[in-house]
Amino acid sequence: MTMISLRKVSKKFSRVPALTDITFTIEENVITGIVGRNGAGKTTLLKMIAGFQKTSEGELRVFDENPVGSLLVSANTIYIDDAMSYPKSMTLEELLKEFSRFYANWNEEIAMRLVDYFAIPLNTRHRFLSKGKRSTFNAIVGIAARCPLTIFDEPTVGMDLAARNDFYRALLKDYILLPRTILLSSHYIDEMKDVLEDLLVIHRKQVCYHGSVSDLQEAHLSLRGTKEQLTKGTLGKTAVSKTTRGLHEEWIMENDFSEAERTELIRQGITNAAVSLNDAYLALTEQPRGGIDDVFNA
Amino acid sequence: MHDVGGDKPIYIQIADWLENAIIDGTLQADEKVYSQYQLADLFTINPATAGKGLTILLEGGIVYKKRGLGTFVSPDAQEKLRSKRKEQTLRKLVQDLLDEANLLNIGTDELTQMIEIEREQRKGD
Repeated sequence: MTMISLRKVSKKFSRVPALTDITFTIEENVITGIVGRNGAGKTTLLKMIAGFQKTSEGELRVFDENPVGSLLVSANTIYIDDAMSYPKSMTLEELLKEFSRFYANWNEEIAMRLVDYFAIPLNTRHRFLSKGKRSTFNAIVGIAARCPLTIFDEPTVGMDLAARNDFYRALLKDYILLPRTILLSSHYIDEMKDVLEDLLVIHRKQVCYHGSVSDLQEAHLSLRGTKEQLTKGTLGKTAVSKTTRGLHEEWIMENDFSEAERTELIRQGITNAAVSLNDAYLALTEQPRGGIDDVFNA
Repeated sequence: MHDVGGDKPIYIQIADWLENAIIDGTLQADEKVYSQYQLADLFTINPATAGKGLTILLEGGIVYKKRGLGTFVSPDAQEKLRSKRKEQTLRKLVQDLLDEANLLNIGTDELTQMIEIEREQRKGD
Protein backbone atom coordinates (compact mmCIF):
# COMPACT_ATOMS: atom_id res chain seq x y z
CA MET A 1 0.00 0.00 0.00
CA THR A 2 1.20 3.50 -0.80
CA MET A 3 1.66 5.58 2.35
CA ILE A 4 2.85 8.90 0.93
CA SER A 5 2.57 10.25 -2.59
CA LEU A 6 3.65 13.58 -4.02
CA ARG A 7 2.92 14.72 -7.56
CA LYS A 8 4.59 17.88 -8.86
CA VAL A 9 4.63 19.41 -5.40
CA SER A 10 6.24 22.82 -4.94
CA LYS A 11 6.61 25.02 -1.89
CA LYS A 12 7.34 28.73 -1.81
CA PHE A 13 7.88 30.97 1.18
CA SER A 14 6.76 34.46 0.12
CA ARG A 15 7.69 33.75 -3.50
CA VAL A 16 11.07 32.20 -2.62
CA PRO A 17 11.02 28.58 -3.76
CA ALA A 18 11.93 26.03 -1.09
CA LEU A 19 11.03 22.90 -3.05
CA THR A 20 10.29 22.57 -6.77
CA ASP A 21 8.41 19.90 -8.69
CA ILE A 22 8.73 17.05 -6.21
CA THR A 23 7.29 13.70 -7.32
CA PHE A 24 7.74 10.42 -5.45
CA THR A 25 5.83 7.74 -3.56
CA ILE A 26 6.74 5.91 -0.38
CA GLU A 27 5.27 2.49 0.30
CA GLU A 28 3.99 1.28 3.64
CA ASN A 29 6.50 -0.09 6.20
CA VAL A 30 9.63 1.17 4.45
CA ILE A 31 12.34 3.02 6.40
CA THR A 32 13.47 5.92 4.21
CA GLY A 33 16.39 8.25 4.93
CA ILE A 34 15.97 11.86 3.80
CA VAL A 35 19.30 13.54 3.18
CA GLY A 36 20.51 16.75 1.61
CA ARG A 37 22.77 19.68 2.33
CA ASN A 38 21.87 22.50 4.67
CA GLY A 39 18.84 24.33 3.35
CA ALA A 40 18.04 21.67 0.74
CA GLY A 41 14.41 21.56 1.89
CA LYS A 42 14.35 18.43 4.06
CA THR A 43 12.44 19.94 6.96
CA THR A 44 9.95 21.69 4.69
CA LEU A 45 9.23 18.39 2.95
CA LEU A 46 8.76 16.50 6.22
CA LYS A 47 6.51 19.21 7.65
CA MET A 48 4.29 19.15 4.57
CA ILE A 49 3.98 15.36 4.84
CA ALA A 50 3.04 15.69 8.52
CA GLY A 51 0.41 18.28 7.56
CA PHE A 52 2.11 21.14 9.43
CA GLN A 53 2.61 23.16 6.25
CA LYS A 54 0.57 23.54 3.10
CA THR A 55 1.93 22.85 -0.35
CA SER A 56 2.05 25.80 -2.77
CA GLU A 57 1.39 23.64 -5.83
CA GLY A 58 0.86 20.01 -6.71
CA GLU A 59 -0.82 17.11 -4.97
CA LEU A 60 0.28 15.56 -1.68
CA ARG A 61 -1.50 12.53 -0.24
CA VAL A 62 -0.77 10.78 3.06
CA PHE A 63 -2.97 7.82 4.03
CA ASP A 64 -4.70 8.82 0.78
CA GLU A 65 -5.77 12.17 2.27
CA ASN A 66 -4.56 15.75 2.12
CA PRO A 67 -2.60 15.85 5.40
CA VAL A 68 -3.44 19.47 6.22
CA GLY A 69 -6.29 19.40 8.71
CA SER A 70 -6.73 15.64 8.40
CA LEU A 71 -7.70 13.87 11.63
CA LEU A 72 -6.74 10.52 10.13
CA VAL A 73 -3.23 11.75 9.38
CA SER A 74 -2.67 13.48 12.72
CA ALA A 75 -3.95 10.49 14.71
CA ASN A 76 -1.60 8.14 12.88
CA THR A 77 1.48 10.33 12.53
CA ILE A 78 4.16 11.48 14.94
CA TYR A 79 6.70 14.15 14.04
CA ILE A 80 9.85 14.33 16.15
CA ASP A 81 12.39 17.15 15.91
CA ASP A 82 14.56 19.15 18.27
CA ALA A 83 12.11 22.04 18.45
CA MET A 84 9.43 20.00 20.20
CA SER A 85 7.93 21.95 23.05
CA TYR A 86 5.76 20.59 25.80
CA PRO A 87 3.60 22.31 28.44
CA LYS A 88 6.09 23.98 30.77
CA SER A 89 4.48 22.88 34.02
CA MET A 90 4.46 19.16 33.27
CA THR A 91 7.13 16.70 34.40
CA LEU A 92 8.40 14.06 32.00
CA GLU A 93 6.43 11.44 33.89
CA GLU A 94 3.22 13.41 33.39
CA LEU A 95 4.05 13.89 29.72
CA LEU A 96 4.51 10.17 29.19
CA LYS A 97 1.13 9.55 30.83
CA GLU A 98 -0.51 11.98 28.38
CA PHE A 99 1.19 10.35 25.39
CA SER A 100 -0.14 6.96 26.47
CA ARG A 101 -3.66 8.43 26.40
CA PHE A 102 -3.15 10.11 23.04
CA TYR A 103 -1.35 7.51 20.94
CA ALA A 104 -3.40 4.38 20.32
CA ASN A 105 -0.39 2.07 19.91
CA TRP A 106 1.67 3.61 22.75
CA ASN A 107 3.98 0.98 24.24
CA GLU A 108 4.35 1.80 27.94
CA GLU A 109 6.82 -0.98 28.60
CA ILE A 110 9.27 0.04 25.85
CA ALA A 111 8.96 3.70 26.89
CA MET A 112 9.79 2.99 30.53
CA ARG A 113 12.64 0.62 29.68
CA LEU A 114 14.21 3.14 27.31
CA VAL A 115 13.83 5.97 29.83
CA ASP A 116 15.51 3.76 32.41
CA TYR A 117 18.29 2.67 30.03
CA PHE A 118 19.12 6.23 28.97
CA ALA A 119 18.97 7.40 32.63
CA ILE A 120 16.38 10.12 32.01
CA PRO A 121 15.08 11.55 35.30
CA LEU A 122 11.28 11.43 35.14
CA ASN A 123 10.56 13.91 37.91
CA THR A 124 12.16 16.78 36.01
CA ARG A 125 10.86 19.04 33.24
CA HIS A 126 11.86 18.74 29.58
CA ARG A 127 13.48 22.17 29.37
CA PHE A 128 15.82 21.36 32.27
CA LEU A 129 17.37 18.43 30.44
CA SER A 130 20.68 18.75 28.56
CA LYS A 131 20.43 19.10 24.77
CA GLY A 132 21.40 15.47 24.21
CA LYS A 133 18.99 14.18 26.86
CA ARG A 134 16.16 16.31 25.39
CA SER A 135 16.74 14.73 21.97
CA THR A 136 16.91 11.30 23.56
CA PHE A 137 13.60 11.82 25.37
CA ASN A 138 11.97 12.98 22.11
CA ALA A 139 13.36 9.96 20.31
CA ILE A 140 11.96 7.64 22.98
CA VAL A 141 8.54 9.24 22.49
CA GLY A 142 8.89 8.68 18.75
CA ILE A 143 9.68 5.00 19.18
CA ALA A 144 7.14 4.23 21.93
CA ALA A 145 4.28 6.00 20.09
CA ARG A 146 4.50 3.27 17.42
CA CYS A 147 2.65 5.47 14.92
CA PRO A 148 1.97 3.96 11.48
CA LEU A 149 3.78 7.01 10.07
CA THR A 150 6.78 7.99 12.20
CA ILE A 151 8.83 11.03 11.15
CA PHE A 152 12.16 11.90 12.75
CA ASP A 153 13.71 15.20 11.62
CA GLU A 154 17.35 15.09 12.72
CA PRO A 155 16.56 13.08 15.83
CA THR A 156 20.17 12.63 16.98
CA VAL A 157 21.14 16.31 17.24
CA GLY A 158 23.10 16.76 20.47
CA MET A 159 23.27 13.03 21.26
CA ASP A 160 26.70 11.55 21.93
CA LEU A 161 27.95 8.74 19.70
CA ALA A 162 26.85 5.95 22.05
CA ALA A 163 23.35 7.41 22.35
CA ARG A 164 23.12 7.77 18.55
CA ASN A 165 24.03 4.14 17.98
CA ASP A 166 21.66 3.02 20.72
CA PHE A 167 18.84 5.08 19.23
CA TYR A 168 19.17 3.56 15.75
CA ARG A 169 19.42 0.07 17.24
CA ALA A 170 16.36 0.62 19.47
CA LEU A 171 14.41 2.00 16.51
CA LEU A 172 15.34 -0.97 14.33
CA LYS A 173 14.51 -3.54 17.01
CA ASP A 174 11.11 -1.99 17.61
CA TYR A 175 10.53 -1.79 13.85
CA ILE A 176 11.22 -5.52 13.56
CA LEU A 177 8.60 -6.13 16.26
CA LEU A 178 6.11 -3.76 14.63
CA PRO A 179 6.93 -2.68 11.06
CA ARG A 180 5.75 0.83 10.19
CA THR A 181 6.56 3.62 7.77
CA ILE A 182 9.52 5.62 9.06
CA LEU A 183 11.12 8.77 7.64
CA LEU A 184 14.50 9.73 9.08
CA SER A 185 16.48 12.82 8.22
CA SER A 186 20.08 13.40 9.20
CA HIS A 187 23.17 15.21 8.02
CA TYR A 188 25.15 12.11 8.81
CA ILE A 189 24.28 9.46 6.27
CA ASP A 190 26.83 7.06 7.78
CA GLU A 191 25.17 6.83 11.18
CA MET A 192 21.80 5.82 9.79
CA LYS A 193 22.61 4.05 6.52
CA ASP A 194 22.43 0.51 7.91
CA VAL A 195 18.85 0.80 9.18
CA LEU A 196 17.54 2.32 5.94
CA GLU A 197 15.89 0.48 3.10
CA ASP A 198 15.59 3.49 0.81
CA LEU A 199 17.24 6.85 0.47
CA LEU A 200 15.71 10.09 -0.77
CA VAL A 201 18.31 12.70 -1.68
CA ILE A 202 17.17 16.30 -2.00
CA HIS A 203 19.47 18.63 -3.85
CA ARG A 204 18.84 22.11 -5.18
CA LYS A 205 15.20 21.94 -4.02
CA GLN A 206 14.53 18.78 -6.03
CA VAL A 207 14.68 15.02 -5.58
CA CYS A 208 17.95 13.90 -7.14
CA TYR A 209 17.80 10.27 -5.99
CA HIS A 210 15.11 7.97 -4.63
CA GLY A 211 15.85 4.29 -4.43
CA SER A 212 17.58 1.61 -2.43
CA VAL A 213 20.73 2.40 -0.49
CA SER A 214 22.75 -0.30 -2.26
CA ASP A 215 21.64 0.80 -5.74
CA LEU A 216 23.08 4.28 -5.13
CA GLN A 217 26.31 2.73 -3.93
CA GLU A 218 26.53 0.37 -6.90
CA ALA A 219 25.78 3.14 -9.37
CA HIS A 220 29.28 4.48 -8.73
CA LEU A 221 32.82 3.17 -8.99
CA SER A 222 36.01 4.54 -7.47
CA LEU A 223 39.14 4.49 -9.66
CA ARG A 224 42.69 5.27 -8.56
CA GLY A 225 45.69 5.95 -10.70
CA THR A 226 47.75 8.76 -12.20
CA LYS A 227 45.96 11.51 -14.05
CA GLU A 228 47.29 10.20 -17.39
CA GLN A 229 46.17 6.65 -16.68
CA LEU A 230 42.71 7.76 -15.64
CA THR A 231 42.22 10.13 -18.55
CA LYS A 232 43.14 7.37 -21.00
CA GLY A 233 41.28 4.59 -19.20
CA THR A 234 37.98 6.42 -18.74
CA LEU A 235 37.54 7.76 -22.26
CA GLY A 236 33.84 8.21 -23.00
CA LYS A 237 32.79 7.63 -19.37
CA THR A 238 31.39 10.14 -16.93
CA ALA A 239 33.38 11.23 -13.88
CA VAL A 240 31.25 12.49 -11.01
CA SER A 241 34.12 13.82 -8.93
CA LYS A 242 37.91 13.99 -9.08
CA THR A 243 40.17 14.22 -6.05
CA THR A 244 43.95 14.39 -5.84
CA ARG A 245 45.39 12.08 -3.21
CA GLY A 246 49.12 12.55 -3.05
CA LEU A 247 50.74 11.13 -6.20
CA HIS A 248 47.49 9.58 -7.36
CA GLU A 249 44.03 10.75 -8.19
CA GLU A 250 40.75 9.20 -7.19
CA TRP A 251 37.92 9.57 -9.65
CA ILE A 252 34.38 8.58 -8.78
CA MET A 253 32.71 7.40 -11.97
CA GLU A 254 29.20 6.54 -13.02
CA ASN A 255 29.34 2.78 -12.92
CA ASP A 256 28.51 1.58 -16.42
CA PHE A 257 31.69 -0.46 -16.66
CA SER A 258 31.39 -4.06 -17.83
CA GLU A 259 33.39 -6.85 -16.21
CA ALA A 260 35.73 -6.84 -19.23
CA GLU A 261 36.24 -3.08 -18.97
CA ARG A 262 37.10 -3.38 -15.30
CA THR A 263 39.66 -6.07 -16.02
CA GLU A 264 41.15 -3.82 -18.71
CA LEU A 265 41.43 -0.98 -16.17
CA ILE A 266 43.36 -3.22 -13.78
CA ARG A 267 45.65 -4.26 -16.65
CA GLN A 268 46.38 -0.55 -17.25
CA GLY A 269 47.36 -0.17 -13.58
CA ILE A 270 44.15 1.51 -12.45
CA THR A 271 42.68 0.12 -9.25
CA ASN A 272 38.92 0.08 -8.96
CA ALA A 273 36.85 -0.33 -5.84
CA ALA A 274 33.33 -0.03 -4.54
CA VAL A 275 32.31 3.42 -3.35
CA SER A 276 31.09 4.00 0.20
CA LEU A 277 27.52 5.24 0.42
CA ASN A 278 28.75 8.52 1.86
CA ASP A 279 31.12 9.11 -1.06
CA ALA A 280 28.36 8.28 -3.55
CA TYR A 281 26.10 10.75 -1.78
CA LEU A 282 28.76 13.48 -1.69
CA ALA A 283 29.47 12.98 -5.38
CA LEU A 284 25.77 13.18 -6.20
CA THR A 285 25.28 16.41 -4.28
CA GLU A 286 28.44 17.99 -5.67
CA GLN A 287 30.35 18.09 -2.43
CA PRO A 288 33.83 17.25 -3.68
CA ARG A 289 36.08 16.31 -0.81
CA GLY A 290 38.76 18.93 -0.62
CA GLY A 291 36.57 21.44 -2.48
CA ILE A 292 37.06 23.82 0.43
CA ASP A 293 40.73 24.05 -0.61
CA ASP A 294 39.70 26.13 -3.59
CA VAL A 295 38.51 28.86 -1.24
CA PHE A 296 42.07 29.27 -0.01
CA ASN A 297 43.72 28.83 -3.40
CA ALA A 298 41.95 31.80 -4.97
CA MET B 1 28.09 -3.28 11.00
CA HIS B 2 31.11 -5.53 11.25
CA ASP B 3 33.78 -4.83 8.65
CA VAL B 4 33.85 -7.75 6.27
CA GLY B 5 34.25 -6.02 2.96
CA GLY B 6 34.85 -2.33 3.68
CA ASP B 7 32.85 -0.31 1.20
CA LYS B 8 30.92 -3.25 -0.24
CA PRO B 9 27.14 -2.86 -0.05
CA ILE B 10 25.84 -4.39 3.17
CA TYR B 11 23.71 -7.04 1.49
CA ILE B 12 26.83 -8.39 -0.19
CA GLN B 13 28.66 -8.34 3.15
CA ILE B 14 25.79 -10.38 4.62
CA ALA B 15 26.01 -12.90 1.77
CA ASP B 16 29.80 -13.12 2.24
CA TRP B 17 29.40 -13.64 5.98
CA LEU B 18 26.96 -16.50 5.46
CA GLU B 19 29.16 -18.02 2.75
CA ASN B 20 32.15 -17.98 5.10
CA ALA B 21 30.09 -19.71 7.79
CA ILE B 22 29.15 -22.44 5.30
CA ILE B 23 32.71 -22.85 3.99
CA ASP B 24 34.25 -23.18 7.46
CA GLY B 25 31.51 -25.58 8.53
CA THR B 26 29.83 -23.35 11.14
CA LEU B 27 26.65 -23.87 9.11
CA GLN B 28 26.31 -27.49 8.01
CA ALA B 29 24.36 -29.01 5.12
CA ASP B 30 20.58 -28.96 5.73
CA GLU B 31 21.06 -26.77 8.80
CA LYS B 32 18.65 -23.85 9.28
CA VAL B 33 20.03 -20.44 8.28
CA TYR B 34 19.26 -17.19 10.13
CA SER B 35 16.04 -15.54 8.99
CA GLN B 36 16.18 -12.05 7.51
CA TYR B 37 14.83 -10.67 10.79
CA GLN B 38 17.46 -12.49 12.85
CA LEU B 39 20.18 -11.15 10.54
CA ALA B 40 18.69 -7.65 10.79
CA ASP B 41 18.79 -7.82 14.58
CA LEU B 42 22.24 -9.43 14.66
CA PHE B 43 23.89 -6.71 12.56
CA THR B 44 21.53 -3.75 13.14
CA ILE B 45 20.58 -3.55 9.50
CA ASN B 46 17.30 -3.11 7.68
CA PRO B 47 15.44 -6.44 7.25
CA ALA B 48 15.03 -5.73 3.52
CA THR B 49 18.82 -5.48 3.19
CA ALA B 50 19.27 -8.76 5.07
CA GLY B 51 16.66 -10.34 2.79
CA LYS B 52 18.60 -9.19 -0.26
CA GLY B 53 21.71 -10.93 1.09
CA LEU B 54 19.76 -14.17 1.55
CA THR B 55 18.35 -13.85 -1.97
CA ILE B 56 21.87 -13.96 -3.44
CA LEU B 57 22.44 -17.33 -1.75
CA LEU B 58 19.01 -18.59 -2.83
CA GLU B 59 19.66 -17.66 -6.45
CA GLY B 60 23.05 -19.36 -6.34
CA GLY B 61 21.49 -22.54 -4.98
CA ILE B 62 23.59 -22.22 -1.82
CA VAL B 63 20.49 -22.31 0.37
CA TYR B 64 16.95 -23.56 -0.21
CA LYS B 65 13.56 -22.68 1.25
CA LYS B 66 11.13 -24.98 2.99
CA ARG B 67 7.68 -23.49 2.98
CA GLY B 68 6.77 -22.21 6.45
CA LEU B 69 9.92 -23.59 8.03
CA GLY B 70 12.63 -21.23 6.85
CA THR B 71 15.85 -21.33 4.85
CA PHE B 72 18.36 -24.20 4.93
CA VAL B 73 21.89 -24.90 3.67
CA SER B 74 21.92 -26.88 0.40
CA PRO B 75 23.66 -30.28 0.65
CA ASP B 76 26.28 -29.30 -1.95
CA ALA B 77 26.69 -25.70 -0.73
CA GLN B 78 30.14 -26.09 0.79
CA GLU B 79 31.55 -27.76 -2.34
CA LYS B 80 29.94 -25.17 -4.64
CA LEU B 81 31.32 -22.26 -2.60
CA ARG B 82 34.79 -23.83 -2.39
CA SER B 83 35.14 -24.11 -6.13
CA LYS B 84 33.63 -20.64 -6.66
CA ARG B 85 36.08 -19.08 -4.22
CA LYS B 86 38.98 -20.96 -5.78
CA GLU B 87 38.06 -19.82 -9.28
CA GLN B 88 37.34 -16.22 -8.33
CA THR B 89 38.83 -15.02 -5.04
CA LEU B 90 41.95 -17.16 -4.90
CA ARG B 91 42.75 -16.59 -8.58
CA LYS B 92 42.48 -12.83 -8.01
CA LEU B 93 44.82 -13.07 -5.00
CA VAL B 94 47.33 -15.04 -7.07
CA GLN B 95 47.16 -12.35 -9.75
CA ASP B 96 47.82 -9.65 -7.13
CA LEU B 97 50.68 -11.74 -5.74
CA LEU B 98 52.26 -12.01 -9.17
CA ASP B 99 51.81 -8.28 -9.81
CA GLU B 100 53.75 -7.49 -6.64
CA ALA B 101 56.36 -10.17 -7.35
CA ASN B 102 56.91 -8.82 -10.86
CA LEU B 103 57.27 -5.29 -9.52
CA LEU B 104 59.96 -6.53 -7.10
CA ASN B 105 61.53 -8.77 -9.74
CA ILE B 106 60.98 -11.94 -7.70
CA GLY B 107 60.88 -15.22 -9.63
CA THR B 108 58.60 -18.21 -9.21
CA ASP B 109 61.21 -20.22 -7.25
CA GLU B 110 61.71 -17.53 -4.65
CA LEU B 111 57.94 -17.02 -4.42
CA THR B 112 57.31 -20.72 -3.84
CA GLN B 113 60.01 -20.69 -1.18
CA MET B 114 58.30 -17.80 0.59
CA ILE B 115 54.98 -19.65 0.57
CA GLU B 116 56.68 -22.77 2.01
CA ILE B 117 58.30 -20.76 4.81
CA GLU B 118 54.97 -19.12 5.68
CA ARG B 119 53.27 -22.54 5.75
CA GLU B 120 55.92 -23.97 8.08
CA GLN B 121 55.58 -21.04 10.46
CA ARG B 122 51.80 -21.47 10.61
CA LYS B 123 52.14 -25.17 11.49
CA GLY B 124 54.15 -24.14 14.53
CA ASP B 125 51.44 -21.75 15.77
